[in-house]
Amino acid sequence: MIKIPPYLKKGDTIGITCPAGYMAAAKAMTCISTLQQWGFDVMVGKTLGSGSDNYFSGTDEDRRDELQAMLDDERIDAILFGRGGYGMGRIIDQLDFTRFKKKPKWLIGFSDITVLHCHLNRRLNIACMHAPMAAAFNDGEHKNEFIESLHKAITGKKANYKTAAHTFNRPGKASAELVGGNLSLLAHLCGTPSEIDTRNKLLFIEDIGEYIYNMDRMMYQLKRCGKLDQLAGLIVGGFTDVKDTERPFGRSVYETIKEIVADYDYPVCFGFPVSHEKVNYALKVGVHYTLNIGKKQVQLSEL
Amino acid sequence: MKRKDFLSSIVPLGVSFASIAKGREFIEDPDAPTVIPRYLKKGDTIGITCPAGFITELDIQSAVMKLKEWGFQVKVGNTVGKKNFTFGGTDEERRYDMQQMLDDNGISAILCARGGYGAIRIIDALDFKKFSKHPKWIIGFSDITVLHSHLNRNLRIATIHSKMCNSFPDDWSKAESEQIESIESINKCLTGEKMNYLITPNANNKTGLADGELVGGNLKTLESLAGSKSDISTKNKILFVEDTGEYLYSIDRMFWNLKRTGKLSGLKGLIIGGFKAKKDDEGEEFGKTVAEIVLEKISEYNYPVCFDFPVGHQKNNFALKCGVMHRLAVHLNECRLNEIR
Repeated sequence: MIKIPPYLKKGDTIGITCPAGYMAAAKAMTCISTLQQWGFDVMVGKTLGSGSDNYFSGTDEDRRDELQAMLDDERIDAILFGRGGYGMGRIIDQLDFTRFKKKPKWLIGFSDITVLHCHLNRRLNIACMHAPMAAAFNDGEHKNEFIESLHKAITGKKANYKTAAHTFNRPGKASAELVGGNLSLLAHLCGTPSEIDTRNKLLFIEDIGEYIYNMDRMMYQLKRCGKLDQLAGLIVGGFTDVKDTERPFGRSVYETIKEIVADYDYPVCFGFPVSHEKVNYALKVGVHYTLNIGKKQVQLSEL
Repeated sequence: MKRKDFLSSIVPLGVSFASIAKGREFIEDPDAPTVIPRYLKKGDTIGITCPAGFITELDIQSAVMKLKEWGFQVKVGNTVGKKNFTFGGTDEERRYDMQQMLDDNGISAILCARGGYGAIRIIDALDFKKFSKHPKWIIGFSDITVLHSHLNRNLRIATIHSKMCNSFPDDWSKAESEQIESIESINKCLTGEKMNYLITPNANNKTGLADGELVGGNLKTLESLAGSKSDISTKNKILFVEDTGEYLYSIDRMFWNLKRTGKLSGLKGLIIGGFKAKKDDEGEEFGKTVAEIVLEKISEYNYPVCFDFPVGHQKNNFALKCGVMHRLAVHLNECRLNEIR
């Protein structure tokens, strides 16, 4: 049985750390003040706005030590990652989850954080949260429904997301555990100890900035690794800033995905609001949901 | 325009490939000795096909002429000149062309015209039953790593990692010597010459001596095979990898994939080919060189490592026999890779 970390109540503390790419402190200010307005205390790690002069928010050791400290610190009730980028994969095997396993807390993020989500789901059987990170609060967006969905999710309100149907959808209904994340990372983790198990589960995927041929290849990898044949359902999120080669690939990303799952008969929906853009609902990885794909509407409701 | 040999004419009418039972020739032991396909002699036929990206008939002429000059006959597959967007024909056309060549006993080797992307889309639909009884050399690199890896893992049949038709120059008089030598090395491989490579020593090399089967190819493609049935086994082997046009962070992530899928721990030796990285975006400087990226992953291992081996998306890309035993000898002032029998 999957362990659900305790939901947050007013007065609880959220830690902010950057386990991957560099983030200027100013870019997290709105997030911090919003979390405070929600009634939480915020503890900010040194990796946010660090003195790093390269891609990362700190050395592997700095990033790992800070995340490790926040995982182990009982005063911290949840960890919200500043941003993704790249870097979680460099420290994942050096993290010690012994204390965290005994006292799990919500780990919140997406993109590169998919490495952690998959690892938690596969190795530790602890639920975690795929949701907007600190930068998503900026530009006046701190009150939008997606940030609001994060607020609801961490305080234990059950989600009931509705979105318009896409012409590519394959209607149907399925109730199962939800897993997923960034497609590049899901593919990259294949064959590793953090590899996701998708059997009898609802899988969601999203990505940004990749070539169509590369996304096609990643979908083939998932398929050839047996990640697509026994799904309860597939939720295709946003695939944005898509690139194409000089010789056009000749298919859109959605066409590619549709083609690859044509052999199966589980429900599939496209254009679900989970992405690198503003539209990015909080999703609890490891928690059971019902996916109901109708002719006009798609509904994803937490059980 | 030259008349092409249309392979489809060889197949008796009425034979549908779907009706032929699929053979699953799976060798469970990834350490079983490999089968070396018969080396070629003059008069043998080399087939050219496009399992991935498309190429025009004109663009393979230089290769066709060179193969004939070497004394081989050439059979040009139906997919040459075919174009389905980026592909050399639809999946079905590419699969069919490759299947014909795998099964045709009149063809002694298959040269893939170019890489690009697409081999993964047809690999599971190919039937290797006849091929495994009568193995022949499969030649190519980049996306063709799918075939190298699949054949090495599942059928234990040796293959040739080398330049393809699109790298044969139109004007040989203007080609650089290392490009010509790279192309000539395909002929050496095919005709059974024992291969020897002398590599310029690199300050990052780790010295040592290793005997092992040579496996490898394009790193991105190897990563995309991880966890699948075509996933390469590297235990007790000499692994070579190359890639081009990837960001440093992506190269780093791919080496983590090798490490976390257990492909770096049991190696006999490691060969790093060309790695022309894409320039970091401004403000996103990765801060590590390719050599640093590699060395930090293998700091706890003691096998020899050779950098800047002439293999990759570059002019000096020498033909390598995958699945064949080699000796890697890395010394401070000399570095060699020799085929051993």
